[in-house]
Amino acid sequence: MLRHFFKLIWNKKKANSLLMVEIWASFLVLFGVGSLIIYTIRNYIEPIGFEYENVWALTADQMNDTTEIVGKGQQAIARIRSYPEVLSVSNMSSNFPYSNSMMNNAYEYNKRKVQASTLITDENFGETLDIEMLEGKWFTAADSVGKYKPVVINHKMKEELFENESAVGKVISDKYKVTGVTGYFKEKGEFDKNKPILFEQVSGKFWNSVILMKVKPGTDAHFEAKLVKDVTSMLKDWTLEVDYLTDSRQNQHRITLVPVVIFLVVSLFLLVNVAFGLFGVLNLNIAKRKNEIGLRRALGATERNIALHFIAEMWVIATFSIVVGLLFAVQFPLLDVFGLPSGVYFLAILASIGIIYGIVTLCAWYPSAQASRINPATALHEE
Amino acid sequence: MFANYIKIAWKVLLRNPFYTFITLFGISLTLTVIMVLTSFIDHMIGSNYPEVNRSRSLYISFLARRDSVNTGMMRGPMTFQFLSDHVKTLKSAEKVSIFSFFSSSNAYAGSKKINLQIKYTDSEFWEIMKFDFLEGKPYSDAEIRGSQHVAVITHTLKQQYFQDKDEAAIGKTIEIEGIGYRVIGVVKGSPVTRIYTAADVYFPYTAPKSGYDQKGLNGRFVAVAMSADKQSLKAMNDEFQARISQIPPDVDGRKFTSLEVPSQTFTDIFLSTVSQMGPNGKTIFYAAVAFILLMILGLPAVNLVNVNVSRIFDRASEIAVRKAFGAPVNTLLWQFLVENIFITLIGSGIALLLTFGIISWVNASDWIAHLDLTVNLNVFLISMLVTLFFGLLSGVLPAYRMSRLKVTDALKA
Repeated sequence: MLRHFFKLIWNKKKANSLLMVEIWASFLVLFGVGSLIIYTIRNYIEPIGFEYENVWALTADQMNDTTEIVGKGQQAIARIRSYPEVLSVSNMSSNFPYSNSMMNNAYEYNKRKVQASTLITDENFGETLDIEMLEGKWFTAADSVGKYKPVVINHKMKEELFENESAVGKVISDKYKVTGVTGYFKEKGEFDKNKPILFEQVSGKFWNSVILMKVKPGTDAHFEAKLVKDVTSMLKDWTLEVDYLTDSRQNQHRITLVPVVIFLVVSLFLLVNVAFGLFGVLNLNIAKRKNEIGLRRALGATERNIALHFIAEMWVIATFSIVVGLLFAVQFPLLDVFGLPSGVYFLAILASIGIIYGIVTLCAWYPSAQASRINPATALHEE
Repeated sequence: MFANYIKIAWKVLLRNPFYTFITLFGISLTLTVIMVLTSFIDHMIGSNYPEVNRSRSLYISFLARRDSVNTGMMRGPMTFQFLSDHVKTLKSAEKVSIFSFFSSSNAYAGSKKINLQIKYTDSEFWEIMKFDFLEGKPYSDAEIRGSQHVAVITHTLKQQYFQDKDEAAIGKTIEIEGIGYRVIGVVKGSPVTRIYTAADVYFPYTAPKSGYDQKGLNGRFVAVAMSADKQSLKAMNDEFQARISQIPPDVDGRKFTSLEVPSQTFTDIFLSTVSQMGPNGKTIFYAAVAFILLMILGLPAVNLVNVNVSRIFDRASEIAVRKAFGAPVNTLLWQFLVENIFITLIGSGIALLLTFGIISWVNASDWIAHLDLTVNLNVFLISMLVTLFFGLLSGVLPAYRMSRLKVTDALKA
């Protein structure tokens, strides 16, 4: 039966070639957009691992000031901590969560190498952002005296570097000693992928320009203006900027979602276009084959048989196109051009195959149903 | 005669509204997508407000140094000192402007917080970048030399910061990070996608916190050198690169062995940001663009051809009947030609309306501040011709072949 269908289509391959090209191209479009969307969703469903509400990031840049930078900065931090509106304060490097700046370094343990984002933070970072600890604890000021620099790593980094071993107390790259392992931490938020992160303790030698603070809910720009004014008077000639993490978050979301939405809309229109086209072509094709249908009906084929026949023909055409499309699609995970996990591509392939069969069935349904209702007497009479 | 063709074409379109709809949908959708896309590309790399001199300017945006084993690398904007020594003095340049990339800050108007982008510029900046001054004028060299606290702000900021939105802002004071600046000009803002000109406040480079007196190579400033015309860009580039090759990479005592300061046209900068995505970034980018364009153009084209070719059998009896009543091949051909041109024109008209709608909607939304997308009519005409070509290929050619058949064969079909 199946062989029969393939044979039918193969014999008319020239007449069906345009249809096949069309379905093949739709498959590739679906595959591309599907990969992008699945990748985005996969990232989105993994928790970010921190609280961003009511957290402000004050960037204090020393500019040309060169005297006692760290001392002045620490004074400013102490001043900020003294406000009743401020619940928790942490000093860190410029790449605060949701910011656009990034810092990457390679780390090594037992010949295993991992590229990780480095955040230089102080001991209050975990508390300010409510980060969950899975193992050990956040480093403290007391840890800074040892031979090794204390670091905290996220769960993903622990998995890549230590696999099943416990990480606490281990030394990374002959330089850093792990004091704790956090749960999830995705530095750029919801749409960032879950990647290795290492938190290094701030040293007293350099000024790290960001002061993160968690404020009481409902604190507004009045307080912010006062705070900036006070800090400006302490840090003359420095530049100050306050970002709300909620604003930076929106910004990051926009950067991720705008291209996704554009691709989605464009490909949706393309698919609707294709669906209409298929529908039209099938309608005409079936109208041309009235005699054949009449003959089959006269010889005892049921309505169901006829309808199924036309739908099955479309499925066979779709299968040919998809097989060719697959040859192209599998190149992406094999060559790994965009560095996405191959699971994303396979899910996208499955989804595209499903959608293509869905569209094809939908488009073939109405014309087939119509064809099946053709009266053998009228059809044969026309002949 | 011609009116008759159109009348027939119109009737034919109405006879089968569904197929007319499919065709129109395909044509207008494709044209709309192409026009909106090119409008974005033109927005990104074309010479638009206020960077109208982009095509005859070289952008000098970073200095990169590497050490011998290629592990260490330092890359970023330069100091004002460095740029005024090496770029400002270019003989082949008509004008050179040195300015900073924008930096962020905040201003507070009562209980309202305003996020600001600040740019420090020299006076030539206003001569190369043609801003529209709604009020006042830019700062002069005298004001820069006198380190006066003056500022040029955008119209948007004026509306946000000052209570009385209609009153002139000139002479009023705006307070940023504890320092009061006198507003001397109000300009129409530049979209944030034009990172070399976009900002909310423009200060003379001698204003506090600009860092213009920094020494060494790496700082906060970039430069744009404008030549007299497009042809002398090459000469200017050569002169600048000859100068840069004279600078020892370890001039400030750091152990670097190579130093480069690219002077690029804006398009090159745009493409080089893309190629930073990886070693084959450029290839991937071009492949992706080609693929997307092929799909956007190819799919509806195949679709159009498909529908047209299938429909020709539908029309066979019509052709045969007309032939049987004595219509010459030419007349039939004309009819199909006019019909196709007619439907392409209607589709293009819809596309134009849609494009205007989408573009004005995007411009009005606060998606990108000061966005000024425009419709590129050249692109519109070219894509219309391409659509027409496919329409003719798939509609007229089979019709022509059909009309050459013997009447009896055609009538039977």
